[in-house]
Amino acid sequence: MKHPLLLLLGLLIGGAVQAADPPASASRVPQPVVEPARSGQCVEPPELMRRNHMDYLKHQRDDTMREGVRGAKYSLKACISCHASQTTNSVAAAKTNFCISCHSFAAVKVDCFECHATQPTQNASSFYPLVHPSGVTAELSRQVRQQTVPAPAPTPN
Amino acid sequence: MKPETSTPRSADQAPKTERRGFLGVAAAGLAGILLAPGVRLIEVAQAASPGTDSAGASAKVRWGMLIDTNQCKPGCTACVTGCRTENGLPENPGPTDTQYIRKIEIKDVKSGRQHSLPMMCQHCAEPPCVDVCPTGASFKRADGIVLVDKHICIGCRYCMMACPYKARSFVHEPVSNQKPDVPRGMGTVESCTMCVHKVDKGESPACMTACAAAGFNAIVFGDLNDPDSDISKRVAQYATRQLREDLHLDTGVRYQGL
Repeated sequence: MKHPLLLLLGLLIGGAVQAADPPASASRVPQPVVEPARSGQCVEPPELMRRNHMDYLKHQRDDTMREGVRGAKYSLKACISCHASQTTNSVAAAKTNFCISCHSFAAVKVDCFECHATQPTQNASSFYPLVHPSGVTAELSRQVRQQTVPAPAPTPN
Repeated sequence: MKPETSTPRSADQAPKTERRGFLGVAAAGLAGILLAPGVRLIEVAQAASPGTDSAGASAKVRWGMLIDTNQCKPGCTACVTGCRTENGLPENPGPTDTQYIRKIEIKDVKSGRQHSLPMMCQHCAEPPCVDVCPTGASFKRADGIVLVDKHICIGCRYCMMACPYKARSFVHEPVSNQKPDVPRGMGTVESCTMCVHKVDKGESPACMTACAAAGFNAIVFGDLNDPDSDISKRVAQYATRQLREDLHLDTGVRYQGL
């Protein structure tokens, strides 16, 4: 009588351990959507960036702001120009964009974009003063960039 | 007892030189101890930021502007427009919106002589805004440019009250579509940065460029510490004034023809 009971107990414990294994649980937990960067190599390996990017940025912001040291390694502008989404041209316009998707996954508020631009430096566009990132003209300009609509000829000056 | 004055000079020369020698060695040693860590710190600071475009703001430089009010045309707002475009400020500002630079018209009541001139942050050497800031957000760079560190600005607006030139503005509304080089956001104070992002690249401020493009050349930008710079030569040659000289703020912006 004892043996089948022990066997059952053993099976139960074994099953519990199996359920706690990462491969079994991975499919049930939502993962952040990480949009691919535009090109090139990041300034540090991804493991380091995930853990330390805020420290890199904070350290350099003081150097740049207070000491006027420009163009150093860890620049928010460089982050944005590489990680801006192909669709929204921003790192924080949609929930799936690079900064927002991870920050909402980790439930960490990101304050950078209260002041900092979320888009890379814009090249001169024929729409320039009219384009607002959330407006109709922006949508049109996006379509033009993706070449679904023929681009208007630039106005001669 | 009186010290012996009749002692021949050569007799006490030897101990004196010895003492002097010792003092010299001691001073050199002290200087070595004191200076070496400083030098090393600088080296570390420079090594910590390899591949940077600029070594940073230098205390040898004092950026300044000279505004020739005789050249400044009444009614022209090229500098204001140029500033707004460069810094991403609203094109049609409301009464409480930010202004970095504004045009003012003044008139001497007795003589009736009129002046038109741009007003902006005067980039004082002794800035009252920096004195009153409770968090250290308002600061002066080594090269004399007065800025607000918006990361630590709490929006108390003491600096706005302290500034005799009404140079600073508070951002009341949420801001979007900023320029990547000019971060600005609600709840912080801001003012003319002398286009610090351009100056660090070796360019001139936008108001000066706009004024030159409009054909007036009323604004000259340069290093006040460099005797060979255009601005220093003009300051040396012509009568120029600082606004509210009585406050002894030693402003970086000077006016000619007032």
